[in-house]
Amino acid sequence: MSNLETLKFRSDPGVLFSQHAMAPGAISNFEAIRSKVVDSVVERTMNDFSPAQYEMLLGESLFSERRRIYKQKNATLEYLFIRKRIKADEKLWKKVQQGLLKSVVESDRKKLMRDAVTHYADEIGGHFSPKVYNFTTRTLPLAFNWLLNAASLKRIAPWKQVEMLDTRLRVYGEIEHLQRLSQKGTILLVPTHQSNIDSVLIGYIIHLMQLPPFAYGAGLNLFTNPVISYFMSNLGAYTVDRQKNSPLYKSVLKNYSTEILKRGVHSIFFPAGGRVRSGAIETHVKLGLLGTALQAQIENYQENKPNPNVYIVPMTTGYHFVLEASSLIDEYLEQSGKHKFMATDGDEPLILWKFLKFFWKLFSQDSSVQVRIGRPLDVFGNFVDENGRSIGPNGTTIDPKSWLTSGGELKADTQRDQQYIVGLGKKIGERYHRENIVLTSHLCAYSYFRMLRKTYRELDLYRFLRLSLSQRTVLFSDFLAEAVSCYKLVRHAANRGELFLSEELRVLKLEDWIQDGLRQLGMFHESKVMRKQDQTLYTEDMNLLYYYRNRLTGYGFDPLGRDENKLLGEFDEKGFLV
Amino acid sequence: MKKDFWSKSRVVVFGGGNWGTVLANLATRNCAEVLVIVRTEEQARSVNSTKTNSEYLPDFKLSDKIKAVSTFDKAFEAGPAQAVIWAIPSKPTREQAKLMAKYFTGEEILIHATKGVEAGTLKRMSTVLKEEIPCPRIGVLSGPNLAHEVARGDPAGTIIASRFEEVIQSGRAIFTSPTFKVFGSSDMIGVEWCGVLKNVLAIAAGCVDSLGLGWNARATLLTGGLAEMVRFGTVLGAETQTFLGLAGLGDMLATCSSPLSRNYRVGQGIGQGKTLAEVVDSLGSVAEGVYTAESVWQYAQTRDINMPITRGVYALTHGQLSPAEFVKQTLAAY
Repeated sequence: MSNLETLKFRSDPGVLFSQHAMAPGAISNFEAIRSKVVDSVVERTMNDFSPAQYEMLLGESLFSERRRIYKQKNATLEYLFIRKRIKADEKLWKKVQQGLLKSVVESDRKKLMRDAVTHYADEIGGHFSPKVYNFTTRTLPLAFNWLLNAASLKRIAPWKQVEMLDTRLRVYGEIEHLQRLSQKGTILLVPTHQSNIDSVLIGYIIHLMQLPPFAYGAGLNLFTNPVISYFMSNLGAYTVDRQKNSPLYKSVLKNYSTEILKRGVHSIFFPAGGRVRSGAIETHVKLGLLGTALQAQIENYQENKPNPNVYIVPMTTGYHFVLEASSLIDEYLEQSGKHKFMATDGDEPLILWKFLKFFWKLFSQDSSVQVRIGRPLDVFGNFVDENGRSIGPNGTTIDPKSWLTSGGELKADTQRDQQYIVGLGKKIGERYHRENIVLTSHLCAYSYFRMLRKTYRELDLYRFLRLSLSQRTVLFSDFLAEAVSCYKLVRHAANRGELFLSEELRVLKLEDWIQDGLRQLGMFHESKVMRKQDQTLYTEDMNLLYYYRNRLTGYGFDPLGRDENKLLGEFDEKGFLV
Repeated sequence: MKKDFWSKSRVVVFGGGNWGTVLANLATRNCAEVLVIVRTEEQARSVNSTKTNSEYLPDFKLSDKIKAVSTFDKAFEAGPAQAVIWAIPSKPTREQAKLMAKYFTGEEILIHATKGVEAGTLKRMSTVLKEEIPCPRIGVLSGPNLAHEVARGDPAGTIIASRFEEVIQSGRAIFTSPTFKVFGSSDMIGVEWCGVLKNVLAIAAGCVDSLGLGWNARATLLTGGLAEMVRFGTVLGAETQTFLGLAGLGDMLATCSSPLSRNYRVGQGIGQGKTLAEVVDSLGSVAEGVYTAESVWQYAQTRDINMPITRGVYALTHGQLSPAEFVKQTLAAY
């Protein structure tokens, strides 16, 4: 235990925790260009469709929008927060409805279409206020540091504050690389998404890395709280409403993203489309928004812009506990992991106290969040060097223009570009696995789950998750043995470059990291995910155990090749027979 | 794409074997310049002076547009090619791809006509090429294409499969002739595996034929073999339909009936009681199917895929089964 208390691991030195000013970027004067952005989004969307499609599109959108409005009006609590928005929506769609009922001669479909598109574009369009940004980035660290030390009452006085934020929020990886690339092109940061906390945390980390603020798509559910909403909407967030699923809305959303990327506004997408339900690292990412990066780059080439490239930077976040784990895993088990494109998921509104509770726990319980900035990629999924050049196999450099030239012309080609994006999506999934930082708690959950699974091999997953308390109680010494062998697995995988181990796992002795892992694993939850009692170990919640254990799936570690209907290493880019 | 893009293009064909030569000759109809990379300087000189490939296709007169070279430097000295056709065996593919990587700009269309997989890793040729060459637009050409027949000008069809529509269109523009029809497919995995797996079946067919077992036995064997191919292919992500098309059933029928096929001759030889080593001696080279049977059978075991014929061919080529036992085990089991 002495080890644990004296050893303090810190963030990469490229992350600046002391006060510093906002780095200037394309977003700084966003308010000045906002109306232009919205206008060109409208133009683009109008061009996406032919006049012959207007009637159909409007009809389709009207149908889905009226359903959505009806549903939201009846969700009483939520309605209170978004009343204004809904009222405006209603007004517009009423107008569209009346227009559609008239003949083409009496009401101009094009105008209706333009109204609807403008309405969407304006709703999506974010704001950025340097004042709010500066205020937030100055106050947050003070608050964080105070919270950090308030946990122990003795240290609450400012002069006794010894704990620093950089031991709790630990950022590693290609930070310098990212900083350099942000000068040479537009960055599209694609983080893994586990919790609603992500958006806030990542926004802050970007500031710590001295990068200019990023624009990001935030679910409408994050805007329901007036306080958070105020900050979000002034910090470059644009609104993504997952409840809206008409083709018209999706097109506007894509065009907005293309437009801001083209203007050099660094952006963040969560490519999985929502928080991952199973707790595993995302393997499948949604390609729709990702495609806007390629689109923006092609257009930049065509217009001979000075810094035309868009760089895709994967990022992974490792939590010892995820606020929403319990509801997420239940949902996952219910749906067996399927969720459709922008499906209307039950994203719960982000409640302020939950948010504060997260940070309180983070600071008071000596826990940490570990973040890794991955190796930057180009729009095809090739690695990019420090100068922003794409690296091909065998020491070749790639000119992205040549990959975008077909039949001697540099131009967009829907089918080709779609395939490029499929490739990029796969690559991001693969990079997520490789850039993942394994935490002590993940490995504890994994080892315990694995040893249980070995014992109850014949049960299917759903029955397995309903093991009785006595069935799932094991001897602590047996668990230790399993943990040793699992540790070997991840250690070897780390040596092969397939994942990263946290510093705790690399440095601490077996007993110490297990102690650390057991203490930190899901510490927020009411039921203990793993509890050691005398010489035994048991879990109070199998589903949560499953959730945390899932973080280490997808590496081919599983003793059961046929686990989860997937053969070992199936369609595995890393090669067969592993 | 501009209409005259391909008629003004330069195409490099890597591999001066019989299929490479025939493909190069087909390309001369539709492209401005066709370069064939052959193994030695003498071969290159011989092809350029006599306009025949005396080693592989002595009776076949080549087009005047074909130019043979023996090094990558010479092939690309006049600038990058618009298309590269990969027609060398699977074994040296990775090593050669490493060497050729630096000549690519990334704009090329790369189509391979190699029916094999990398031993051990079971990686498809397109995967190997993608890993070594900075060229994303890769396709595969496969089908019932016995080189001599295509050279003679007998009607034939082939499939070009790629994830990119552009590659299929380009392949069509390069190879189509009045007697050679090019079809397209998006199932690259399926088409590549068809070309690989049918080689194993050809060995089995050769063996059964040499025992004089008649049409029933043959049909039973081929049908069972096709089912095996489908089972294996679908596990790897191929589409069933592909196996019923030109690249699957089509290629299988041609290969498993023709004494021109090396794999078929290996089967025949073994059926006549020779050992693999003896057959290989008389053929001069090992047929792809021998390696394939081994890798595929090993893989099938780990995945629990039922493949009695492949298992039989593996045992047959390794002297663990006699031809009679092979027939008993594979055909009687149905």
